[in-house]
Amino acid sequence: MSSTRRRIRTSSLRAAAVVLLCGTFIAVIAVQGQQVYLQAAAPEDQFGDVTLNQHVTLDNGPVVFNHWLHRAKFTCRLCHVDIGFAMVANGTGINAKTNEEGFYCGACHDGKRQFGNVTVFASCRQDGVAKADVTCSRCHASSKTTRKYSYREFTAKLPKARYGIDWMAAENAGVIKPIDVIDGLSIAKQRINNHAELAIAPQVQWFTGIHFSHELHTKWNSCELCHPDIFPTQRDRAANMSMYQIANGRFCGACHVKVAFPINGCNQCHANGPMWVNGPGWIM
Amino acid sequence: MKRYFLLPLTLLLLLCLQALAQTATQPAGVKKRRPLPPEYGRVVIGQNVENAQLAPVVFEHWIHRSMFTCRVCHVDIGFAMKANGSGITPVDIQRGYYCGACHNGRMVRNDKTVFAGCGLRDTLADEQRCDRCHSYGKSVKSEYNFARFSANLPRERFGNGIDWEKAEVQGLIQSTDFVDGISMKRNSLAVQKDFALNPKVESMPDIIFSHKKHTVWNGCELCHPDIFFGVKKGTTKYTMVDIFEGRSCGACHSTVAFPTMDCQRCHSKPVQQ
Amino acid sequence: MRKLAIFVSLLACGFLWPLRAEGQSASQTQANTAPPHQTKGGLAADPAEQQAFQHEFDDVCGRTQDAMLLTKDELKDLMRRCDALVPKLTKLDETQRKVYKRRLEQCRGLFAYVLDTKKDSNK
Repeated sequence: MSSTRRRIRTSSLRAAAVVLLCGTFIAVIAVQGQQVYLQAAAPEDQFGDVTLNQHVTLDNGPVVFNHWLHRAKFTCRLCHVDIGFAMVANGTGINAKTNEEGFYCGACHDGKRQFGNVTVFASCRQDGVAKADVTCSRCHASSKTTRKYSYREFTAKLPKARYGIDWMAAENAGVIKPIDVIDGLSIAKQRINNHAELAIAPQVQWFTGIHFSHELHTKWNSCELCHPDIFPTQRDRAANMSMYQIANGRFCGACHVKVAFPINGCNQCHANGPMWVNGPGWIM
Repeated sequence: MKRYFLLPLTLLLLLCLQALAQTATQPAGVKKRRPLPPEYGRVVIGQNVENAQLAPVVFEHWIHRSMFTCRVCHVDIGFAMKANGSGITPVDIQRGYYCGACHNGRMVRNDKTVFAGCGLRDTLADEQRCDRCHSYGKSVKSEYNFARFSANLPRERFGNGIDWEKAEVQGLIQSTDFVDGISMKRNSLAVQKDFALNPKVESMPDIIFSHKKHTVWNGCELCHPDIFFGVKKGTTKYTMVDIFEGRSCGACHSTVAFPTMDCQRCHSKPVQQ
Repeated sequence: MRKLAIFVSLLACGFLWPLRAEGQSASQTQANTAPPHQTKGGLAADPAEQQAFQHEFDDVCGRTQDAMLLTKDELKDLMRRCDALVPKLTKLDETQRKVYKRRLEQCRGLFAYVLDTKKDSNK
């Protein structure tokens, strides 16, 4: 081989190696599911909606669960601890049979339970109700979808935050009174009062620290909701929490991406100390 | 050509395998799925067995613990406390050990003859009987219905949703501690004192540990020294992380006995203000 | 090329090793080789020896409930008797050996544990 051809061959091989390396790096980041950018929050009336589509049939489409409707009436703890719902779509394993046995949705949606003067409609039944009747279409999307409540009307009187509803203000003002215990479903225990307010230092120097309030969080949650799955009980185990992980629904992101106030509003958490008081504001 | 490809190929392999390893294990920071009351305490035995002719076994703790104490199975019969830990083979069952100690077609319990386990002369015709245990991945109708079973039992949070201790105190279940031909005659145990354990986090109430409640079903050798080897109280240091990962208290209280997710069941002493 | 292939395959093994399926039992062949009768005594064991073993085992390990009330000497004697049973395990059939090995370990372990708690006392 002549020296020129060898040189060309060497440089092209080198180029191929560099391309391969860069491509691998990008591919691995994708494989590990790390998002490089924060996603924009959904439109306010769709924020908190969970699509359950494990058991879609011709008659019954996916279920779109509205968080805004339920969180106005119940605490997070009731559904996610007492009833046992998972915190990711399709993570619970709900099907018609479990509903009929009184688990998950069927714990309240049994056609009998009453809140105030409203009787909660029954959810899935396996006893031959194959046709999509009115009750099915209240949850399952279909051509006959009938939703009793609309976001705009339901939340008209609730205090608004910069994005969506300010649920804490709503409760403080007495506009909503979320129920925490349901007889027959919950078993009340002595309350553990954790007043630990934590100062979390961010991983980058140019951001303000986070002030985490246990007191605010335990109003609607209890220990079991976060500990030990989402936040291990020893702080050093969660030491490497990063915004990438949070944006992907881990740690704080288990709630504060799709249901509780989204992390797009940086200064709602990064509000500690005089450094960069106003933060970078909203990332939309 | 070899030299130039060696480095990127190695890096590619390393990174891909690392990604694979990460996705294979569940990452921290997400909520695990909680088993439904009938699923809690389920042990799948015999997965990943070479040359397996039958489906893995699905063992349900709730039906067995309503009839026997933990000690009968885990001390007298000798079952391990982890799936696949006992190394049970059909030959063992045929000889009347492990499952075969009761599932021998002869023992009578609650006016019913306990069905026989793996038999020496089983054929395809016995498939229905085999499926009663070897049911993993199959839809086998169980003879016992959890909803009916637990309907009248006192309720508690998480796990099976049953307060087993109260159920026994009220006489709704009778857990036998002695099985003829399997257990040996023992004197009753001298009562141990209850004691308090202090948690590291100040706001958490103290734990009241009751030896009496535990020894009613377990005896001594189930826990000592395998699970708790410290001789003097306070010498063995274990943390909640150890417990959540299935060590010390978590040996039972993560998958079979009431789960440690129910903080107040152990952390029950009021905090002294 | 060959060296590269060997190197890469060794590396792959090193990374995949922690991911191998857990819970593989040692011997899980489904051969029906049990003796024709299904009683506790196996054909491999001499029935008289097996009965003697059982009797001694029941006598020793039946005392676990009394462990806290025994003296140090009594506990040491029980542990000695447990140790004396260990060589006799080889005379039992495979299943009995497996079962009694674990039961003997539990039983002896408890006596040793209780003896340890009494280490500092006179009794």
